[in-house]
Amino acid sequence: MYLGLDVGGTHTDAVLIDNNKIVASFKAPTDHKNLLTSINRALAEVTKSVDRSAIKRINLSTTLSTNAIVENKTEKVGVIISGGPGIDPESFRLGDFFYVIPGSIDHRGTLIKDLESAGVKAALEECAGKNVRVYSLVTKFSTRNPGEEEYLAEKVGDQADFVSLGHRLSGQLNFPRRVGTAYFNSAVWRLYNQFCDAINESLKELGIDTQVNVLKADGGTMPLSLSRELPVETILSGPAASIMGIISLCDITDDSIILDIGGTTTDIAIFASGAPLVERQGISFASVPTLVRSLLARSIGIGGDSRISVQSGKVTVGPMREGPSMAEGGPVITLVDALNYNGTISYGNTAASKKGVDEAAKKAGMKADVLVKASIEFAVGFITDQVNAMLAEINDKPVYTIHEMLENRAIVPEKVYLMGGPAQGFARYLHASFNKEVIIPREYAVANAIGAALAKPTFQVELFADTSKGQLIIPNLNIREKVAGDYTVEQAEDEARSYLVDYCKRMGIQSSVKDIEIIESSSFKMVQGYFSTGRDIRVKCQIKPGVEGGIA
Amino acid sequence: MIKAKNRMGLIFFPAYDWAIDPSHPEREERLLYTQDQLWEEGIFDIEGIHEFKPDIATEEDVMRTHFCFPDVRTVTTESHMISAGGAIKAARIVMDGEVDKAFALVRPPGHHAMKSVHGNRGFCNINNEAIMVEYIREKYGTKKIAIVDTDCHHGDGTQDVYWHDPNILYISIHQDGRTLYPGSGHVPELGGPCARGKTINIPLPPATSDEGFLYAIDNIVLPILADFKPELIINSAGQDNHYTDPITNMNFSAQGYAILNEKLNPDIAVLEGGYSIQGALPYVNLGIVLAMAGVDYSMVREPDYNYEALRQDRNISGYIEKVADAVLDAYRNPPKDKNAVKYGDYNVRKKQIYYDTDGIRESQIESVMACKKCPGVLHIESSSSANPLSFGIEIPFGACRSCRDEGLRVFRDAKDSRKYRTIHFINRFDKEYIRV
Repeated sequence: MYLGLDVGGTHTDAVLIDNNKIVASFKAPTDHKNLLTSINRALAEVTKSVDRSAIKRINLSTTLSTNAIVENKTEKVGVIISGGPGIDPESFRLGDFFYVIPGSIDHRGTLIKDLESAGVKAALEECAGKNVRVYSLVTKFSTRNPGEEEYLAEKVGDQADFVSLGHRLSGQLNFPRRVGTAYFNSAVWRLYNQFCDAINESLKELGIDTQVNVLKADGGTMPLSLSRELPVETILSGPAASIMGIISLCDITDDSIILDIGGTTTDIAIFASGAPLVERQGISFASVPTLVRSLLARSIGIGGDSRISVQSGKVTVGPMREGPSMAEGGPVITLVDALNYNGTISYGNTAASKKGVDEAAKKAGMKADVLVKASIEFAVGFITDQVNAMLAEINDKPVYTIHEMLENRAIVPEKVYLMGGPAQGFARYLHASFNKEVIIPREYAVANAIGAALAKPTFQVELFADTSKGQLIIPNLNIREKVAGDYTVEQAEDEARSYLVDYCKRMGIQSSVKDIEIIESSSFKMVQGYFSTGRDIRVKCQIKPGVEGGIA
Repeated sequence: MIKAKNRMGLIFFPAYDWAIDPSHPEREERLLYTQDQLWEEGIFDIEGIHEFKPDIATEEDVMRTHFCFPDVRTVTTESHMISAGGAIKAARIVMDGEVDKAFALVRPPGHHAMKSVHGNRGFCNINNEAIMVEYIREKYGTKKIAIVDTDCHHGDGTQDVYWHDPNILYISIHQDGRTLYPGSGHVPELGGPCARGKTINIPLPPATSDEGFLYAIDNIVLPILADFKPELIINSAGQDNHYTDPITNMNFSAQGYAILNEKLNPDIAVLEGGYSIQGALPYVNLGIVLAMAGVDYSMVREPDYNYEALRQDRNISGYIEKVADAVLDAYRNPPKDKNAVKYGDYNVRKKQIYYDTDGIRESQIESVMACKKCPGVLHIESSSSANPLSFGIEIPFGACRSCRDEGLRVFRDAKDSRKYRTIHFINRFDKEYIRV
């Protein structure tokens, strides 16, 4: 049995799946003051009538880290960075303990100038004086040469309970994002680890002794134990849970549009040949771009509870939400009320919806059915426009080789998959607007928890080899090795793969070889003057996002 | 988060699968480290800077600009069409108001490609800027455009394309032709008889530093631009004036390039040469992108930058001041072209052109109508070691009716004569581009 638990902004959902069937499910409002209470209750309820020892795995998607950052409940972090030439690193200032140390590493990973030790010392003394206990240490091009970050870690020493080193979080190039990622990772570390302790305690009390994973924004999971070092990976996993849910519920093979219509927002995702697309660099969070891998999803301010407004005869919907619909006792009319009014759905107190719409129409000096029609048209039109803009952006994604330029296949969705509370109400309107088949999976109400339950692990490594320097590095696995002058891209691909497999074994990440794929691979001959000096080899390898089984 | 003052579009196309040959300076690796630097700096996370995919230039885009012998396909590869397409995309997003400025970081380069094309010279086959300018003129009707070429090599191709065009001001700043390929670009080269002073050459001595370049910008380029009042400024942004460039002898720096760009304030920049791919390009390109976007670039420095070692010699400064006086004088009072020979209503010149990359020799007789109302119908009789006698006729952008009629007559006569293997006919009046 697989247990999936999604602690969302509004609801906490749990499902128990056995042999591709939902054995139990549970849904309750999330208690934001105490997430653990919500989780404990969901765990207890969903497992109350089963043999708890038969639970093979628990996958958990939680907003804990997300909320901590949004609500500013994070710990103070000593951010010590070094940029060298380029954009002024002051622009990336985060928190009250932010220090820029002179020094530089170039794009080849060559150390140009040592870190200024006096500056490091002064920064650490100031932090010690203010009792700063967690640190984020990042240098530019540390994914090419992590030496300076390691030097900083050594200097911090016992002064820290925890340090985040930039190169261990991602192999990608992007210094500002690396700074942001490392900052968040340290900022939520203590809170997250306390949460992990509490979860383990709760499971013990419930008599559940099994593997526990957490969901990441890229739709994959990682073991809870590993996430203790990488808590930043657990931010914004909510949309990913829903997307993985729809993969579990439907056999998607084509280019498709995925819409998850909630109360306040609609999440849009695009699938290419049945596979979800991933953000190019990472997710942006609290207006700080990060290197946290994420499924490509866009959230727009239209949902079932979006307020309908009329201003000088013009009807608009959202982005404001002022409580639930009138059908649920809310103060203003919303899309749900409009759909109730014309009979598309029958939700809650339909009479209240009718009364509210009639009053609003009268006040605006228009006919009620005109108001209803205009508001639905506005919402559907807005969603359609946003989807098309997102598609245009995806199809216009830059490429860097002539081959890709000429072979590029545009994504042309054939179907729309729809889920979320008000999904039924929108189906026929979206069908008309997109002129595509609209599919609503049966169990869409708990799709997110199903997605969490069935999501498989993901992981990514980037290998960078420079045969003229005779070096190979895989930053996030902390691997540095010597390579021979005749090292090839094929060897690099094999090595990236085998390091990934080894790492998974060690960390208890269960994955099969067939899920491992090389996603980028290049080899450039380097020439100095008129002589070849070696090769610059780059390989990206990942365990791709996916689900185990599905719901029959 | 950083916010750019100018909305800026970057068209980055490094053509990672194309090279002239494996160890040629114009090879796959050329923009790899630039990409690394731009990515590591998080350039695309700056609010207002966006990356765009290049267009692919069409055969018509090339035929609107060049006489390609025997045809477009033979003298280009896909990479040339994408590079030119990158320049076109830069123009489109600026002209459509999607961005304030655009930089086409594309390869291969183009500024050595002349009006008539038989092959590759100076690493260039077709002229990206000229194809872009002709696209702009045809689609948006822009009349006055200035191209400022800051590549270290004289842009003899662009100069050739616009030699007779009084509406396109071409200014090239480069290392003195007596010391570097292609050998041209001297002060007295001022444009054809009807476009005198609309070609401006500023040859700088070897070892010119930031100081000398910026002096030339402040004291020559900006005053001339202020006088010409172009609707659009284009920078042919070669990066081989850099002190680390392996095939030139100048002492320009990344800071210098960024300051130059800020002063010049171009609407569109298109990458040209620059072959110090590790020591210069990552920093120069970063400096240019930030300067165009209006983001602080004061900390962009090469790791090995040494002000003292690059300081400009006083003799060089003195020499550059003299060059400036000579150029300004030539712009304001251009002397008559002594080499111009008149046959009837036509100004005629003979040209020998060498295509160094492909080893082709071309001989041309170029004739242009001395028209008072328009740039004048132009034709080129050309033969080369690659192609037998061929012919190109252009009814130029903004042509008067009589030049249009003359062009049609010349085309008809050329066809009837059966002398030519290939005839290219560029008819900007009726937007017709024909090859027979």
